[in-house]
Amino acid sequence: MTVDQKVRQTLAELGVTESAGVVALFAEVCETMERERRELVNRVAADKAERDRACKELRDRWLARKNGLLSLVDERWLKKAPRELKPVVGQHFNALRKASEQLEVGVLAREMKCRVAASAGAVLEARSPIVAGTTVLSGVSPDLTLPSIRRPLGSMHPVTRVLREIEEIFIALGFRIETGPEIETVEYNFDALNIPETHPSRDDWDTLYVDEKTVLRTHTSPVQIRAMRKYGAPLYVIAPGKVYRHDKPDSSHATMFHQVEGLAVDRDITFADLKGTLDYFAKRFFGEKVRTSFHPSFFPFTEPSGEVAISCTLCDGRGCRVCKESGWLEVMGCGMVHPEVLRQGGIEPEEFTGWAFGMGVERYAMMKYGIDDIQLFFQNDVRFLKQF
Amino acid sequence: MRILLSWLREFVEIPFEPRKLQADLTSIGLSVEAVTSSGSDWLLDVEVTTNRPDCLSHYGVAREIAAAYRTTIRPLKFEVQESAEAASERVSIEISDSSLCARYCGRIVEGVRVGPSPEWLARRLEAIGQRPINNIADITNYVLMELGHPLHAFDFDRIQDRRIIVRRARAGELLQTLDGIERRLTANDLVIADAARPVALAGVMGGQNSEISPQTRVVLLESAWFDPVSVRRTAKSQGLHTEASHRFERGADIGMAPVALDRAAAMVAELSGGKVLRGRLDVYPAPQNREAIVLRQSEIARVLGTEIAPSEVERILVALGFAVEAAAAGWCAQPPSFRLDVRREVDLIEEVARQFGYDRLPARVRSVSPRLERDVEREKILALSRLLTGLGYREIIPSSMVDPKDNALFTNRPPVALANPLSQDASVLRSTSLVSMASVLAFNTDRGQKDLSFFELGKTYEARANAHPAEHRVLALGLTGNRRPPSVHEPAREAKFFDLKGDVESVLELFELPELRFEEERCLAYEEGLAGRFVSGTTVLAALGRLKPDIQRRFKIRAEAWLAEIDLDQLLAFPLKQPMLRPFSRFPTVERDLSLVVPMGLPYRRIAEAIARLGIEEIYSVEPLERKAAAELPAGLVPEGHASLFLHVTFQSLTRTLTGDEVDEAAGKIYSALESLGVRLRA
Repeated sequence: MTVDQKVRQTLAELGVTESAGVVALFAEVCETMERERRELVNRVAADKAERDRACKELRDRWLARKNGLLSLVDERWLKKAPRELKPVVGQHFNALRKASEQLEVGVLAREMKCRVAASAGAVLEARSPIVAGTTVLSGVSPDLTLPSIRRPLGSMHPVTRVLREIEEIFIALGFRIETGPEIETVEYNFDALNIPETHPSRDDWDTLYVDEKTVLRTHTSPVQIRAMRKYGAPLYVIAPGKVYRHDKPDSSHATMFHQVEGLAVDRDITFADLKGTLDYFAKRFFGEKVRTSFHPSFFPFTEPSGEVAISCTLCDGRGCRVCKESGWLEVMGCGMVHPEVLRQGGIEPEEFTGWAFGMGVERYAMMKYGIDDIQLFFQNDVRFLKQF
Repeated sequence: MRILLSWLREFVEIPFEPRKLQADLTSIGLSVEAVTSSGSDWLLDVEVTTNRPDCLSHYGVAREIAAAYRTTIRPLKFEVQESAEAASERVSIEISDSSLCARYCGRIVEGVRVGPSPEWLARRLEAIGQRPINNIADITNYVLMELGHPLHAFDFDRIQDRRIIVRRARAGELLQTLDGIERRLTANDLVIADAARPVALAGVMGGQNSEISPQTRVVLLESAWFDPVSVRRTAKSQGLHTEASHRFERGADIGMAPVALDRAAAMVAELSGGKVLRGRLDVYPAPQNREAIVLRQSEIARVLGTEIAPSEVERILVALGFAVEAAAAGWCAQPPSFRLDVRREVDLIEEVARQFGYDRLPARVRSVSPRLERDVEREKILALSRLLTGLGYREIIPSSMVDPKDNALFTNRPPVALANPLSQDASVLRSTSLVSMASVLAFNTDRGQKDLSFFELGKTYEARANAHPAEHRVLALGLTGNRRPPSVHEPAREAKFFDLKGDVESVLELFELPELRFEEERCLAYEEGLAGRFVSGTTVLAALGRLKPDIQRRFKIRAEAWLAEIDLDQLLAFPLKQPMLRPFSRFPTVERDLSLVVPMGLPYRRIAEAIARLGIEEIYSVEPLERKAAAELPAGLVPEGHASLFLHVTFQSLTRTLTGDEVDEAAGKIYSALESLGVRLRA
C-alpha cells in the first residue's frame, strides 16, 4: 500500500493498535514527504514558471486544506484514533506538520533558486536546509560549523554595573538606598551642609544654577540631610545618583556624572567604623589584596575629614604611570559627620555620631574597565556599550 | 601653592628626601600633587584646602612640618633699622568701618630707589610662578609667599593730604585698579582712600593712582586684616581673584600683620637703599583674643574610637601653636591667631587625629541589624533592567541637558532652563527622554551602526510656574534597523511597530495592571497612524510610535526609528506580578481555523473583545494568523473595503475532552457574535 492509500484509512482499518505501529506509519509518511521534496529541489529547472508550478503542485499535494495528505492524516488518523493512541499520534502529527513547513512554496522556491545558481558543477547534495526538525527526518547532516543563531542580548551601562555592585556591597551590610531630587535648593545643596555662600569652600563646587535659590545638585550629599530629616537616627543609607558641575567637558571632566553618598549615624559610631567599613568596601570592590590608606582632607560637612587611597590596582603599590609613581590611588572623600550637619538633619550631636563618604562612580568604572575618557560614558556608542 | 624646598629649610630642618616629605605632608592633610626638581632645588605643588589659609606660605607649611617631625620652627631673622623721624608725624591712618577692617598697620620707607630686584629674589619668585616687577612690588610678593600675609605698597607722594582712610566706597565711586580696569564701586566694597579718592580696593588690588613707579621715593607699606566675607563679596562682584583676596577671604592671620610689615620694611630698606621711619603705625581698635575651646578626653574616644594618650594630645596641640591648659575632663585649648578654622571641640579632635596619623587609628567593620522591609522599588527596577537586557536592549545614559529647540520637537511640556549653561545645546534639562534617545540613535547610525535597540532608565524635568521644578522617572526605548540581522540561516527582518509594542507589553506585564489596554493616539513626535499608547484604567502608562520622518531627518538617523516612553512614576506604583498557580488542562486541545471577511475600518481589538465577551470558557486562545486587505489579494476574493482575516482558535476544557460538536457549536457562537460587527465567513 502506498502512503497515499494508507492516509485514506483509519488506524483501525490499517490494523495499528500500538504506538510502535504509529511511529512506523509516521516515519513512512515523513520519508515520503522528504523524498518528494528532495526530488523536486534537485530537479533544478531553470525556467521560473516551471519551478513555481512544480512547487505549488507539491505543496498542494501535501498541504491543501481539502484532501491534502496532511489534512487526511489529521482526519483519518488523528481524529479517529482510539483514546489511548491519541497522545502519540498527536505528537507525531505535530512533528510532521512542523516538517511540512519546508513544503511552503516560498521555501521550496528559494531553495531551488539557490541550486539553480549553484548548479554550474557544484556538488549540491552537501547543501542542505538547516531547519529545526528536518535534520533527523531527512538524514542529511547540516554543516554544524556554520555560525550559530544567536538571540541578541542587551547590556547594562558600565556605570549602572558599577552602581549595582557598590549598592550590593552596602545592602549586604544593612544599608538602605535613598534618593533625592537632582534639581536641589541651595539650602539642601550648600547651606544645610555647612557650606555658606560667604565661605570660599562654596567655590569648590562649580555650580549650574536654575535660579538664585535652585541648583543642579553638585553632589549627592543633600540626600544626607533629606534622609536624616525623614528617618532620624539610627540611620544607615547610601544615596546613588546623578550630579552636575559647571565644568568644561574633557577626558576627565563631565558636566553630569554619578556619585554614591554613604551615611551612617548611630550612638557609637566612630572613626574606626568609617575606616573599617571603607576598607571592607575597597577590598570587596577592588579585590581582597587591596590596602587602604586614609589621610586628612577638608569637607565642610565632615570633621575630621579624610581621603581614602587604595594601593594601586595596576602595580600593587610599587609605583607606576597610573598612580603617578606614588603607589596609591585616591578613591573617595569621607569623614565624621559635622555636628552642625547632624543638627541640620534634626539629630542631636551629643547623643549620636556619624560617618559619611562620597565616591565618583565613573572613576570607579574607569579604573575597573580600563576606560581613559569619561566622555565615552555619555556618548553611548554601541561599540562601547556592547563590551559590558 | 608652590613651595620651594630650600625656602622651607630656612625655617625647619628636613632630614628627608623630597619623596618622603611628600608622603609625610600628605599624611597630615597637605596633599602634595607633584614634586619636581628645579635646578638644585625641589618644587612641591601643595594642595591647600580652603580651611587652611595658614598653609598658603612657606612659613605656614614649615610650621606643620615642624609639628609632624617633632622639631621647632626657627624664628624669623631680620631687623628693622629705623631713622629718627617718626612715621606718625608723616601719615595718619583711620579706620572708619572697623567691622570690615579689624587692624591696619603701616610703615613708611623714604629715599627708596625703585629698580629691578636682586637676582636671588627674582629667581625665587619665578620658581614659584610669580613674575618679578620691581624691587618694591617683589618684596611685598616675597613676604606674601614667605609668611602668607598680603601686603600693599603705595607711592606715598601720591597719597593726598598724607591721610589713609579705610572706608566703604561711595556708590558709583570709580577706581582704576593695577590691572588697568576702571571699576565702579558700591557701598558694599571696602576701599583704602586718601583725603580725596580711593587708592586701593581693600584686600583685593591696589589702584593705579598710587602705584609704585620708577619715580617713587617714599613708600607706604600696608599690612592689614580685612573681613573675609567682605573681601570675598568684593572680589566676586568685581570678578577679580588675586593672591591677596585668596588669603583674606579664607581668613588671614591678624597676628602676622605687624610681623610681615616689619619683615617687608627691613627688606625694602636693605634692597632699595631707603630708610624706615621710626615706629609702626598700628590701628587695632579691638584686639582679638581667641576663646579657649574645651576638649574632653572622652569625646576624643567617642569620635575616634580609641583613647589617645593625654601627653600625646598635649604635645600635638602645643606643637600646632595652641595654648593648652589642663581642665576637669581634659583640656582648654586656645587656638593661635592663624587658625581661624578651629572653632569647636571636634576641630581640635581633627588636629589630634591628623597629627597622630589616620593610618594609626583603629578600624572595625560591623554590619547593621538585618532589615525587615524590602526595597520593593529597587526590585522593580532590577526586574525591568533584567527583562530589557534579556530582550536585547542595551542601556544608555545620555546627558540630561539638551538643546531647547530639539526638546520642543518632541513635547510641549516646558523644560527647565539653566541660568548659566555651558552652551546653548545643553542649556535646558530635557522634558522628554525621546530627544536623548533620538540623539543616541543618530550618533550611532552616523557611525555606521545599523541594528540598534536601546533603553534608558532616567528622568525628565518640568518647569512649573511659581514652584520648584518637577522630576519624573521614565523608561525610554528606541529601535532602528533590523530586529533580526541577515545570516546564512535566515533572512533579515526589519524592526516594526509590533516589535516595539510587544516589548512595551512585556515591560508592562511585569506588573499587576488592572484593565490594561492599547489605544491608537496622536503625538507630537510620532507619525500619524503609527502611534499608540497603553492605558490602565485612566492612567496612561506608555506612548510609542514611529518617529516622524522630518524629525528623523533632522537628527540624521539613517533609518526609521521606533521610540517609546514609559511613565515610571506611574508604573512603579503598581505591584510586580506575583506568580499564583492556576490549574491547566490535561485534556487535548482542538483547533479551528476561521476564515473571515472583515470591514477595513474594524479594529482587531473589537473582534477580540466580542469573542471575549462571549465568555466561552473552553476558548483557550485566539490568534490572528493572516490579515490581508482586498488590494493584496487576487481580485474578487474579498469585496472592496474589506480584508480577509484568518483566525486560529484553540479550544480546551479543564474537565473533559471536547467533542467535535461542542467545538463546532462554540465556533458557531463566535461567528454569530462577529456577524453583528459586519464580519462574514469567507466563501
